[in-house]
Amino acid sequence: MTIPAVRICDLVFAWPGGPSVLEIDRFEMAAGEAVFLAGASGSGKSTLLGLIAGITPCREGEICVLGTRMDPDRPARRDALRAAQLGIVFQLFNLVPYLSPLENVLLPLRFSAERAARLKQDGTDPHTEARRLLDALGLDAGSLTRRVTALSVGQQQRVAAARALIGRPGLVIADEPTSALDQDARDAFLSLLTTECRKSGAALLFVSHDRTLAERFDRQIELADINRARQAA
Amino acid sequence: MSASLLTLAWKSLANRGVSVALTILSIVLAVMLFLGVEKIRTGVRASFDSTISDTDLIVGARGGAINLLLYSVFRLGDPTANIGWDTYQLIASAPDVDWTVPISLGDSHRGYRVVGTTQAYFEHYRYGRSQPLALAEGRAFDTTHEVVLGAEVARQLDYGLGGFIRLSHGIGDISFAEHAGHDFEIVGILAPTGTPVDRSVHVSLESIEAIHVGWESGAPPSGGAVHETSDPDTLEPDSITAILVGVSSPIRVLGLQRQINTYQGEALSAIMPGVALSQLWQVIGAGETAFKAISLLVVVVGMTGILTALSAGLNERRREMAVLRATGARPRDIFALLILEAASLAAAGAVIGILLAQIGFAIIARGVATRYGLDLAGGPGVTEILVLGAVTLSGALLGAWPAWRAQRNALADGLSIRL
Repeated sequence: MTIPAVRICDLVFAWPGGPSVLEIDRFEMAAGEAVFLAGASGSGKSTLLGLIAGITPCREGEICVLGTRMDPDRPARRDALRAAQLGIVFQLFNLVPYLSPLENVLLPLRFSAERAARLKQDGTDPHTEARRLLDALGLDAGSLTRRVTALSVGQQQRVAAARALIGRPGLVIADEPTSALDQDARDAFLSLLTTECRKSGAALLFVSHDRTLAERFDRQIELADINRARQAA
Repeated sequence: MSASLLTLAWKSLANRGVSVALTILSIVLAVMLFLGVEKIRTGVRASFDSTISDTDLIVGARGGAINLLLYSVFRLGDPTANIGWDTYQLIASAPDVDWTVPISLGDSHRGYRVVGTTQAYFEHYRYGRSQPLALAEGRAFDTTHEVVLGAEVARQLDYGLGGFIRLSHGIGDISFAEHAGHDFEIVGILAPTGTPVDRSVHVSLESIEAIHVGWESGAPPSGGAVHETSDPDTLEPDSITAILVGVSSPIRVLGLQRQINTYQGEALSAIMPGVALSQLWQVIGAGETAFKAISLLVVVVGMTGILTALSAGLNERRREMAVLRATGARPRDIFALLILEAASLAAAGAVIGILLAQIGFAIIARGVATRYGLDLAGGPGVTEILVLGAVTLSGALLGAWPAWRAQRNALADGLSIRL
C-alpha cells in the first residue's frame, strides 16, 4: 500500500472568533493523483490549501502530507515539510521580483536540502534541471534571465510551475493558476502542468471555480460535498 | 543557508535602486563626518601635545602652571610678572642646566605677539617629535631691528623678506601705542610648524629694550621723541617674561624644578610642559567630547534612514514574503532576510564612507599639514574598523524592528494574496 499524498481526518477549522469554515471528516489523495477541487469563491478553498501547506496550523483533526503529520505545535517541522514536499502555484504574482526566472525556479532548493539531494539522486544538478523544466514548460531560453516583470502572465505561471516541480516534491498545489490566463494560454498551461506532474510523480491538487477544466484530472471533487461546515454568506 | 539568504538580501536591495542608494548615501555622509571629526580631533590633540617638546622646564613668575604654559608657549593670556635678568643668569649658569631660551613678551604686531628672545630660540625650541624650527626663507635675526616671522604671520599679512614692520606696545588686537621710529626689517620667515610659533613675531631681546627706551613709565616717551638706539651691547634687559630650560640629564629635572620653585631671591614657578599640557587638555577636552558626541548623533540620524528604507517597502513586499513562505522559507528566514538587508545597507554605507573619507584625507592632508599643522595622513586604522563594525551591527539591530514586522505579517498573511 502506498502512502497517500494527502490525508485529512476529522478536520474542523474556524478563524479566530468566527464560525467554522471547514469541517472535513475524511479526504484522501493517492500518491501521484491529479485532483480537481471545485468551489465557489469564499468557500474555504484557500483556507484548506493553507492548512494542507502547513502555513495555517490545523488544531482540530489531522492533516498528513505524504505520511507526515502537519503538526500544529511544530511550525518549523511544517515549514520543513512544505519546503521538501510541496510545490505551490498561485493565481498571480508568483515570482520574487528581484530574482531572474531561473533564480525563482531554484528558490525552493535554497530552503530544502532534501529537495536538492533528490536532484543529485536523479543524476542532475539544479541549473540543468531548472532549464529542463522551463524548457518542458515551453519557456524559451531567452526568457530565463530576463526580469520577471518583463514576462507575460502566462510565462510567469510557467516559471511558477517549474519552481513548484523542481526537486520532485510529492505534492503540487495550484490555487486558481489559470484564472488570469486567456483561453489558449490556459489550455497550454494546464496540459503542461498535468503532464509534468505526472512525469515527476507528483500528486496535483488543482483548485478552481472553472469546472470546464475538470475533465483533465483523475478525479473531480466539489468542496461543498466534502465540507460539512455551513458556509456563511 | 545564510549565505544564500545574503545573496537574496543583496538582490532585493539592488532591485530597489534609488531609495537604497539614498539610504546608503545618508550613512556614507554621516560616517564621513564622524571620521572627519575624529581625524581632526585626534589631529588637534596630537598637534596640541606636540606644541612643545624637548623643553624640560618652563620658568616664569610665580603663578598657575596653566597660565604660565598659556602665555609662554601658546601666546595666550597675560604674564603675571617678570623675572629679573639676574635670576635668569643664575638659572642659565646652574650646573644641571644644559641650555636656556629667554622669552620676553608684551608687544605685538597687528594682533600677533612679539617674542623677544635670543638665537638660542632657533637652536633649542623643539615641537612635534623633537623637530627643530626651520627657516623657510632668510636667516635668524642678528642684531636689533631685525625680525623673523612665523609662517602664518607672513602668509596672513602677506609679508616678504626685506619688508619693514613696526611693533605696537601691548598685546591687544588693536594697539594705540605704536613704537614709532623703530622699523624692523624682515630677515627671516619660519617654515610652518602647526604650533603657536607660526603666529609669533620674533625679535632679539636687545630690540625689545631698544624700542622701550624712554618707556619706563609704561607710556610713550613724552614729546614723541624717539630715542636713537645706541650700542646693542648696552641694551641688556632688566627682566624677561619666561625661560625655557633644557636640563643636562632627565633625572635632574625634578630636583631643578624644586630648586627653582623654592628659590628665595624671587618668587618663581617652574613647570614641566608635558604635565601642564595634559592639565590644560583636561580643561579644553570637554569641548572635544561634545564635538564627538555631536558627530555620533549625526551617525545615529543617518542610520535611521535604514528604518525608513526597510519599513516603507514592507507592505509592497507582503506578496514576496508569501511567495518565500510558500517555497519553504521559515518565518525566521524572513526575519533574517530583513536583518541582512539592514546590515548590508549599513555596511555598504560604512565601507563607502570610510573609503571616501580616506580619499578626502589624502587629498587635503598636505594642505592641512602646512596650513594648520594637523596630520591627517595615514591609512585606515582601528577607528575605521570599529566604525565599520559598529555601524554594521547597529544597522542589523535597527533592522530588527522592520524584520519583526515582516515576520509577523508573513505569519498572518499565510498564502493568501493581499495587495
